[in-house]
Amino acid sequence: MVQINFALKEVNCKIVFYGPGMSGKTTNLEIVHQKAPEENKGELTSISTDGDRTLFFDFMPLDLGNVAGMRTKFQLYTVPGQVYYNSTRKLVLQGVDGVIFVADSDAEKLQENIESYENLIENLAEYGKDIRELPHVIQYNKRDHPNAMPVDELDRTLNRFGVPTFEAVAVTGEGVFPTLKVLAGMVLESIDRMDNRRSSASRPAPRAEARAQAAPRAEAPAQSAPAAAPAAGGKRGQAPARPAGSPARRPVAPRGQAGPRPVAQRPSPSRVASSAARRRGGAAHADADQTRGTRTGGGRGVFVAVLSTLFLAAAVAGVVFFVMQNQQG
Amino acid sequence: MSDPGKMSANERLRHDRLTFYKEDIERIDRLLAEFLRLSGAKCALLIDKEGHLVTRRGEVRTIDMDTISALVAGSFAATKEMARLLGENEFTALYHQGTRDNIQLSLVGDRTLLTILFDDRTTVGMVRLYANETARKLSEIYGEANSRTTPDPQLDRDYGNSARRKLENLFD
Repeated sequence: MVQINFALKEVNCKIVFYGPGMSGKTTNLEIVHQKAPEENKGELTSISTDGDRTLFFDFMPLDLGNVAGMRTKFQLYTVPGQVYYNSTRKLVLQGVDGVIFVADSDAEKLQENIESYENLIENLAEYGKDIRELPHVIQYNKRDHPNAMPVDELDRTLNRFGVPTFEAVAVTGEGVFPTLKVLAGMVLESIDRMDNRRSSASRPAPRAEARAQAAPRAEAPAQSAPAAAPAAGGKRGQAPARPAGSPARRPVAPRGQAGPRPVAQRPSPSRVASSAARRRGGAAHADADQTRGTRTGGGRGVFVAVLSTLFLAAAVAGVVFFVMQNQQG
Repeated sequence: MSDPGKMSANERLRHDRLTFYKEDIERIDRLLAEFLRLSGAKCALLIDKEGHLVTRRGEVRTIDMDTISALVAGSFAATKEMARLLGENEFTALYHQGTRDNIQLSLVGDRTLLTILFDDRTTVGMVRLYANETARKLSEIYGEANSRTTPDPQLDRDYGNSARRKLENLFD
């Protein structure tokens, strides 16, 4: 939960690195700690086992500095990835403002990635949070692994909500900062957007109008954040894979109806063609229905005509019968 | 807790974020200073459950505030899980005893932790006595802040753009 402290003039946000065991969450944090400027970082604290496996969490504060008069700080946490530690993992997620899901690209770890992502969704749900409303990104780590799965395949399996994804080799530092930068941007965007939304709902008309004019300005840079990340590279281990359009501008779509997908995840031309064909087929179907409808209307007319003729014939026959009876009489 | 889906924008904001205002913090600071005077403790920190410092009073020069806040919140969260296993909702007070310094934690309201650091210049009994009284008064301040109907102050309009510029500088 974002804490805004107008007395200390501080904004505090909580970002959590989540993912299966040994996927590189702590390594990500260590790299951030190594490479962040001295004046921006605090101490890296780990609560780990003797074997350096995370027991509770790793923690490090990252200070963005003075932002429009407010000192803005990110508290970065990792969770223990091992299945056994779910209760502690869930505790670290309390009040989270953004999640970086660190997936292991190794083909043999695919199932663990899937289970961990499912576990993230479940644990968030226990705090009443919907993952679709929480800023989050996916990092495909260990891209230098000989058994690394193709990114497209990982995307299809893991990226269910079309969030930005990044390729990384955390141990060398590649992809670590681009991932954090985009996620941090999404978190700050959500704070800013929430403020704008509230202002337009609660302020007197003239001021609300002023904020409404400001809103597009607030959204525009959301595009620039991912765009500013290095261009997507097909090279193995290349940093930011696919910033996926504008994460902040992407409307949150219900499950199964994800909003605009990242370019790489949009349907292939053949799929587009086939869906267009389906649409055309649908139209043709409607035409046929309409035609059938018209024909059905015509048949009803013929039926009425035949019935009228029969009625007339019966009437004529009745008259003839009546005349003949009179003549005989 | 009310259904987030049916909240107004202001209610939603209070549900999704924790905001502290200058006048409330000034009252809290006065309360903490009085607590330190009465109890003889070294330092009082108010920390939210997510591990962010809200305010502090007393001797704090040598302590890394960010780290101790995160660890206190983590420690409290872990005991909450223990309480749940025992059939309790959560423990409302914790005590860590050291050879020289000690920590007493008290839950205040449902979102913050009053953290007292003290040494042998006072006793745990004195600290607990006044900590309970202070926690009760803090709850009253929170209640008054929550029932306030005046519009909340907001972040500067340029916050979003400024934050993005800072991110560019930090990560490039």
